[in-house]
Amino acid sequence: MSGISRRKFLKTTVAGSSALALSTTKTAFGMKEFHGYPDSMGVLVDLTRCIGCRTCEAACNKEHGLPEPKLPFDDFSVFDQVFHDGKQKRRTSAEAYTVVNRYDQDQGAPVFRKINCNHCNEPACLTSCFVNAYTKTKEGAVIYNADVCVGCRMCMVACPFRIPAYSYDSALHPEVIKCNFCYDKRLKHGKPPACVEACPQEALTFGHRKTLVKVAHERIREQPDKYVDHVYGETEVGGTSWMFLSGVPFDKVGFDTTLQHHPILDNTKSFLSFVPMVLGIWPAMFLGFHLLAKGGKGEKKNKESKPIVEEHVE
Amino acid sequence: MKSRKIQALAGIGMIMVLFFLAAPVFGAGEEAPTSVQIDSLSYLYSGVDFDHELHVDVAENCSACHHHRFGGELEDKQCARCHSGSKGTFAITCENCHVKEPFTGQHIRKMEANLNRYHLDMTGLKGAYHLRCFNCHIKTGAPTGCEDCHTRTDAGNRFYHSGEYAPKGGVHAGVHE
Ligand code: SF4
Ligand code: SF4
Repeated sequence: MSGISRRKFLKTTVAGSSALALSTTKTAFGMKEFHGYPDSMGVLVDLTRCIGCRTCEAACNKEHGLPEPKLPFDDFSVFDQVFHDGKQKRRTSAEAYTVVNRYDQDQGAPVFRKINCNHCNEPACLTSCFVNAYTKTKEGAVIYNADVCVGCRMCMVACPFRIPAYSYDSALHPEVIKCNFCYDKRLKHGKPPACVEACPQEALTFGHRKTLVKVAHERIREQPDKYVDHVYGETEVGGTSWMFLSGVPFDKVGFDTTLQHHPILDNTKSFLSFVPMVLGIWPAMFLGFHLLAKGGKGEKKNKESKPIVEEHVE
Repeated sequence: MKSRKIQALAGIGMIMVLFFLAAPVFGAGEEAPTSVQIDSLSYLYSGVDFDHELHVDVAENCSACHHHRFGGELEDKQCARCHSGSKGTFAITCENCHVKEPFTGQHIRKMEANLNRYHLDMTGLKGAYHLRCFNCHIKTGAPTGCEDCHTRTDAGNRFYHSGEYAPKGGVHAGVHE
């Protein structure tokens, strides 16, 4: 996105659609901070352990039956791939819910970083979606329901980590694609995601998020020389289920260290108090269009877990 | 470029064989085994025929790998503060403490059930082995390629879309994001 700052774009644009999502759930005002479900699961990614073997990528591909990769998963030339005049490393896509990138350092060995959806406590993708296609489950996964998605792609703009990808396979059935924490086949049944299980180095530790926060700080305390004293994702954008430890400053491994430490949603709060009335009309209107387009099949599938915002009301 | 290649190769090597010292229990004074089959969960790679004798020769002492104790006193003074008499520290095989499936709901609940548990952060067996072997191999300049220790299985090649299962476009096919 050249010229325009993503964040500014968000502040002005997402505000509108967040309002829509909220106004349908009665929680826009007086909403307290939400720090995630108490039993939310998470993954602690320890960059000091990752060796860049890409086994997690291969495991994800297999688990989700993704298309054959362009290069074998043991081909490490992918780490040299750059896009947009060398400014952009590999990103998640409709064919790869997770990718590992290499970051060469001025001193010492290169550092590898796995990226995928961080499963935010208060996901911007969710709050920006006016048809509630996203759900934050009590296990911590942020899942998406293609059946109600209208393909507006607001979530792609809203995500502070630029994770959701768009599938162009079918013009009629828009689909946003991202990591779902292996929710259906694994997480829901108390099993770790496929990538975690496959990682030979245990660079990925699966557990309750609140335990992982303790584990992360414990690792830092035990080996203060090895780690940067920060757990990325503990508070960034209100906290994420996937968190990171690093031995080099986080901005040296591609992390956005300028993110706010409260939910993206907050950006819209002040705006909301001005124009709830006008925006209140929109959801009905868009929903109408949507139902027409879908022939009335706009049913929500993920009934077991309630959207995060609804949870607040109770 | 060479080192990058090694780095990369190192990656593949470390996969998926759940190490498991099938060593017979032997106390201090008994003979150490010359070789150990490490192959309890081989899948993408076949098991490791671990040359124990060679490692006994190159390691400064047994606790370089068997980190708790070996016959004598606890090596790590930090551990000794609490564990000089702990039963668990007499364990020799890794799987005595490091479980094969550390991330099942059942195991996670078990670990969290004891609120007094100090060591919340306990690696599983696969992690314990790779972290210990691999880190030392890097430090000492020992081989770090995956296939220096394991042989890739057919299932492994299929998993990595490698070898005869490599994408048909060939290695130098156009690549996009
Ligand atoms: S990382 Fe992006 S896609 Fe994932 S939950 Fe957060 S906002 Fe949504
Ligand atoms: S499988 Fe583990 S060590 Fe290998 S690239 Fe993924 S996170 Fe890193």
